Amino acid sequence: MSSKPDDLAGAGRRNFLKGVTATGAAALTPVLVAQAQTPQTAPAARTVALPNTAVETLPPPAEPVNQTSSGGDFMVDVLKTLDIDYLAMNCASSFRGLHEAVVNYAMNVKPEILTCPHEEIAVSMAQGYAKIEGKPMAVICHGTVGLQHASMGLYNAWCDRVPIYMMIGNIIEADKRGTAPEWAHSAIDPGGMVRDFVKWDDQPASLQHFAESAVRAYKVAMTAPMGPVLLSLDAELQENPISDRDHLRIPKYAPVVPPVGDSGAIAELAKLLVTAQNPVLICDRMARSASGMARLVELAEALQCAVVDLGGRMNFPSRHPLNQTFRRPAVVAQADVILAIEVNDLWGSINSFNDRIVRVNRPLYKPGTKIITLGSRDLYIKSNTQDFQRFNEVDLAIAGDGEGSLPALTEQVRRLLSAERKAALDARGRKLGEAHLALRESAKSDATIGWDASPISTARMCAELYAQIKDEDWSLVGTGININWPRRLWKMDQPHHWNGGSGGFGQGYNAPAAAGAALANKRHGRISVTIQSDGDLMYVPGTLWTAAHHRIPILYVMLNNRAYHQEYMYLQAMAARHGRGIANAHVGTTLTNPNIDFATVARGFGVYAEGPITDPKDLAVALKRAVAVVKRGEPALVDVVTDPR
Amino acid sequence: MNGFSRLLAVLLLTLAAGHPAWSADAANGKRVYLADGCFACHGRAGQGGAMNYPAPPLAQTKLPLAVFRIILRTGPKDMPAYAENVLPDQDVADIHAFLLSLPGRRPTQDMPLLNQ
Repeated sequence: MSSKPDDLAGAGRRNFLKGVTATGAAALTPVLVAQAQTPQTAPAARTVALPNTAVETLPPPAEPVNQTSSGGDFMVDVLKTLDIDYLAMNCASSFRGLHEAVVNYAMNVKPEILTCPHEEIAVSMAQGYAKIEGKPMAVICHGTVGLQHASMGLYNAWCDRVPIYMMIGNIIEADKRGTAPEWAHSAIDPGGMVRDFVKWDDQPASLQHFAESAVRAYKVAMTAPMGPVLLSLDAELQENPISDRDHLRIPKYAPVVPPVGDSGAIAELAKLLVTAQNPVLICDRMARSASGMARLVELAEALQCAVVDLGGRMNFPSRHPLNQTFRRPAVVAQADVILAIEVNDLWGSINSFNDRIVRVNRPLYKPGTKIITLGSRDLYIKSNTQDFQRFNEVDLAIAGDGEGSLPALTEQVRRLLSAERKAALDARGRKLGEAHLALRESAKSDATIGWDASPISTARMCAELYAQIKDEDWSLVGTGININWPRRLWKMDQPHHWNGGSGGFGQGYNAPAAAGAALANKRHGRISVTIQSDGDLMYVPGTLWTAAHHRIPILYVMLNNRAYHQEYMYLQAMAARHGRGIANAHVGTTLTNPNIDFATVARGFGVYAEGPITDPKDLAVALKRAVAVVKRGEPALVDVVTDPR
Repeated sequence: MNGFSRLLAVLLLTLAAGHPAWSADAANGKRVYLADGCFACHGRAGQGGAMNYPAPPLAQTKLPLAVFRIILRTGPKDMPAYAENVLPDQDVADIHAFLLSLPGRRPTQDMPLLNQ
């Protein structure tokens, strides 16, 4: 990152106000004076440089050169009250004050620094971490160059409704900036670069202001709908002495209790669900804590109705008989009531859409179907980025935290169920269970096609991986291309078995987010695995070094299809539409010639690695060895050359 | 008449009219299947895949050649529609023969990895 020119102008930019000790300067002064006054003797050897008389005859500095307190220390005190465990960063001079305070004042504990070779890695690690741990990780970077690197990660987190505690360094006062880098690294409004996709930001002007904004930022980030927040920290504020620590107060943080939907609306919804012939529950980012999945199971079992889990979180057990995720069009078509819980893309979930010359869409649901939304999405929206998706008309929109509102809804449903109605619902549930079993058998049958093929089928790879982890306490913390074999083949029934995707569909998320999630899982003794696409890892390969450096136990299983494959397919579609050159879709979309040897790349970063593996018969032993490495507490990578999807 | 109904009508008319018998070359079909990117969505082993929607498995396809050709020419959902000038009928027949030559599905009950 930045380097500070070792010149006198740069060294003298700070104004030391109060609380400094002049002893350092005083003690140094006689030495400098003495050196300046001592006659030079003959050099002891020809290699000794001649004295720089211009420097050595400078008068001693008039300003103090040491201090016994710093604003950074106070900032650490504030962060400690927020129970922040980690501070992910790529070191940079604009936050050197806080950096040094964390290292030497906090002794690198709460927060502990995570060294990241790119700011996007730092933010994405925080995103993955928060979805497992349920609280934010702090991230800090340069205010201009660093924040621009970090911006893609922030956008993903914004779309994914994940809290990130983002901080940046800045030098607010122009007369305090030194040489060229400090000007390039300063801005009058650095938060403006990312304001479209952070919930709240501030640039505190004093330490008391920092304390209040720091607590406010945490509160905003953790209030539904959650999201990233940003604090811009003036370098002077971080570095300079504290004038009077006793007058600084750290406000107490009290979390906002998630809002429960209006009781009258919940009662109306319960009545609709109980009387419906074929109600469907669709959920996306619903489960925000370990309780979420159990609450949805309770509601679904009370109603014996279909559940479609869009996969933004671990919402519903993959092998639950009511799980109809991979029958979505069919169950939506039969529905007379659809309840969408914390669903961002409702329109895309209940409409079909064709990517043709004339883009055609039609509802998957029949006319008259009641559509109800329950969630916090309607409570907060911004304008510029369009991640809020297409507007879909609904019959009832209930504002409230989805997970938090489920117990009240389930209680109302149970209250309305007569014995006769319950018997009818049980019959419905049995039919859904049969359909679910048929789906599972279909998935297994599909998986057999190309079972022994090379490149290896993604189904075979996922089946082999599951065999190695199923008896452990495992956590799948990423699938680079939203591959759905795990949800079709694996038994996923614990809250940590899945933590959702990127949110913004931005490449460079999966590798670091998986590492962040694995760091959170480490505390719980879980085996973390991720299916890692090659294109994504090429954005942020340095993640592997961070995983090795911090001994993060995670298994990266490369889905190495040697292409940006979605784009390959889109390019082919364009070529077919234009009636020319359908054999050229590989140009600009493939990662071949040379093929990337990810195992060698990983070893170069200090990560245990195997591969490239092209024969499916070699997978089991390689994965077994890699899992053993992860169980020892270290990262591992197995490079699997796969078919595209 | 919606898109699906139109497609169905064309299919029925085509089937009723019959189609020429093709002398198909599965080896050439494999070459075209890989070179023209069919594998991209449907897999090299015809196991299926996904683009915006699931792309169905094609190994041991049950589709008659005439229907298969119409699907290629019209492209259901987001599948590209391949015109005669980019994918001649002979190549279509060869691809069809290649898909029929693939092993296809296996019984799952004797596969421990699929019964975990």
